[in-house]
Amino acid sequence: MTNAQKNRIIDKSFQVFGIVCTFFGLAILAILLYNIVIQGAARIDWDFLKDLPSRRPQKAGIYTAVMGTIWILVLTTMIAFPIGVGAGIYLEEYAKKTKLASLLEINIANLAGVPSIIYGLLGLEIFVRIFGLGGSVLAGSLTLSLLILPIIIVATREALKAVPSSIKDASMALGASKWQTIWNQTLPASIGGVLTGVILAISRAIGETAPLIVVGALAYVPFAPSSPMDEFTVMPIQIFNWVSRPQHGFAVNASAAIIVLLLITFMMNGIAVYFRNKWQKKIKW
Amino acid sequence: MVETMTIKEPMDALVDNLQVEPPKKTLIEARNVDVFYGNFQALKNINITIEENSVTAFIGPSGCGKSTFLRCFNRMNDYIDEFSIKGEVLIDSKKIYWRNVAVEELRKEVGMVFQKPNPFPKSIFDNVAYGLKIQGIKDKTFLEERVVKSLKDVALWDEVKDELKKSALALSGGQQQRLCIARTLAVKPKIILMDEPTSALDPISTAKIEELMFELKKEYTIVIVTHNMQQAGRISDKTAFFYMGDLVEYGETKQIFTNPKKERTQNYITGRFG
Amino acid sequence: MTHLDSELDQIKQQVIEMMDLVKNQLSKGKEAVLTFDKDLVHEINANENRVNAMELNIDRDVENILALYSPVAVDLRFVMASFKISADLERLGDNAVGIAKYIHNVDAQLAQKNLDKIRFTEMYENALAMLDDVVEAFEKEDTKLARKVFIKDVVLNEINSNAANVAIELIKENPEKIHNYLYLLSIIRKLERVGDLTKNIAEELIFYSEAKVLKHKKKK
Repeated sequence: MTNAQKNRIIDKSFQVFGIVCTFFGLAILAILLYNIVIQGAARIDWDFLKDLPSRRPQKAGIYTAVMGTIWILVLTTMIAFPIGVGAGIYLEEYAKKTKLASLLEINIANLAGVPSIIYGLLGLEIFVRIFGLGGSVLAGSLTLSLLILPIIIVATREALKAVPSSIKDASMALGASKWQTIWNQTLPASIGGVLTGVILAISRAIGETAPLIVVGALAYVPFAPSSPMDEFTVMPIQIFNWVSRPQHGFAVNASAAIIVLLLITFMMNGIAVYFRNKWQKKIKW
Repeated sequence: MVETMTIKEPMDALVDNLQVEPPKKTLIEARNVDVFYGNFQALKNINITIEENSVTAFIGPSGCGKSTFLRCFNRMNDYIDEFSIKGEVLIDSKKIYWRNVAVEELRKEVGMVFQKPNPFPKSIFDNVAYGLKIQGIKDKTFLEERVVKSLKDVALWDEVKDELKKSALALSGGQQQRLCIARTLAVKPKIILMDEPTSALDPISTAKIEELMFELKKEYTIVIVTHNMQQAGRISDKTAFFYMGDLVEYGETKQIFTNPKKERTQNYITGRFG
Repeated sequence: MTHLDSELDQIKQQVIEMMDLVKNQLSKGKEAVLTFDKDLVHEINANENRVNAMELNIDRDVENILALYSPVAVDLRFVMASFKISADLERLGDNAVGIAKYIHNVDAQLAQKNLDKIRFTEMYENALAMLDDVVEAFEKEDTKLARKVFIKDVVLNEINSNAANVAIELIKENPEKIHNYLYLLSIIRKLERVGDLTKNIAEELIFYSEAKVLKHKKKK
């Protein structure tokens, strides 16, 4: 066998291996989705969405959980977006490349890898106890914001980095200040990437359970929150709660709720992809 | 039959033919400039004076410091970490590395055109008006006048006058570079720095930009870094040859290209380098 | 007009000016021979300095253009042609000076009938006419006109080859004037050179306009 033939076989076999790897995850996911859809799809109707939780599975709905999730979503976005983007801009555009800056950088990268339960404990200590916010939506949002800040910062920096320096140079060379350059050139050119990062981070946040449980989100809340200081629950907690019950009816409910949660997540990812394509197609360097 | 005449003083007649031009004003001056990147010395004790309404070319092999020096004139090196400069750079007799100098103001006086055409991802009009808009100028008619004038000055007006709202990125490379020059002109600088402005362009676009420079030097002072020696010969009045951070030779382009004083210059321009 | 164009135009103007100067020198030479006017000799010599200076000027400009603009094709041929034409013109000027110099050495005005016998005036007029053609051809870039020069040169050559015999005859008739007749023959020889140089210029012209090399080709 010649060397070329040998190489071709190695090439081919690696290709096959790659295909198997690719479909492994997808196949598992497909099986999962299939089971859930079979079990829960029929349960989803308007009543399911607008009913309050109940002890009887047929009467129980996910209204409070959906509303809690929406509250968390909006508040977290409002907190994490400006802080994360601001920090990203500072680190990428202003901070000098000093030892302190590289220390910050390493820490931020590390923070992104900290288990979410730790964030929960942090939130419990600081927001719930020290700030005295209790188990409120606000405390939950702040905690989740902490959790996703590193992701937003890193995504923002990557997006800013992708803007060619020639554009910034051109702006500066025309007498623009640093902020004018960022506002007029860098941000508009990178906004697609920034938004993509933010949306992906938030869609991760709405799937989080552990930190919220620690902070004090309740499994059973009979009403939807109407202010940031109200108690709340979110969908993952509701699902967890239902799954842990013995009745078959709740298992069906859980499947249905999972479908709703997945739809929300997919929708947000879809929006992120849309933004990315829209802005990146417009700007070609 | 010897019939050679003794030529009395042909040089006298020659001098008579030369027009005596009034001395030009010095616009840029560098005194004992040293530039360091950390511990690496990129420029060594550079002294140079550049006259108003002239084209000066910086030539030399890659890494010789010519671009670094060019960027000292509008302080574009400021953003490079570890960059430090000693000595003085004067523009219009003002020390530009003084602590009180506003870099933004300096750059309105000293425009810059880059190697690769780098229009903003905006409309043609907004590109040219950008420099004025960031100065806070909102007067529509004023902006329009300046944009039209700048586009005419770079001979781009006829090509784009019907599509000022179109994205600048849709223009060809040569047009983009002329747009970038127009964008610089709109701010009305005294000096235009050009960092290899034609190295990414085809020969026709290059020729257009070279012709443009002859027009522009009537109103502006141009300093250009170029890797293309023929280009330096064609367009510049004076040429400075840099090598390893030294200014080896600086003089009239004609002299540099016909009778360089330093052997190193000769080796470089004849292509017998190293 | 590109910058190179204006540089080339400048060279062209200088060459034309130089042509006019040389033409002027030569026609003064003719007058000097005919009228025995020694003032004209001085004028010719004075002009020579200017011609030499112009040659240096053109040389320098050509060097600069080649070094700075690296011209190609028709531009390159023009620069090369101008360079050679200016050298030819300088030598034409030298010939005019040479002719004038003989006036100094001749002790009396040459008799018109002897000049006619050797066909001096005819030859000189022909040479001047050739130069006129070349100047006009250069200005108008008219190669047809330049080619006429070759025909006129034939006449010059013919007169030149007969001149020796005529001179011998004249010397035989008047042996004591041998001195003057030898100088006359030298002038004729110089005029023949003038014709050749003018022809060279015409060849350069055709080379520039048509990229055809006529030099060293057998002519029928």
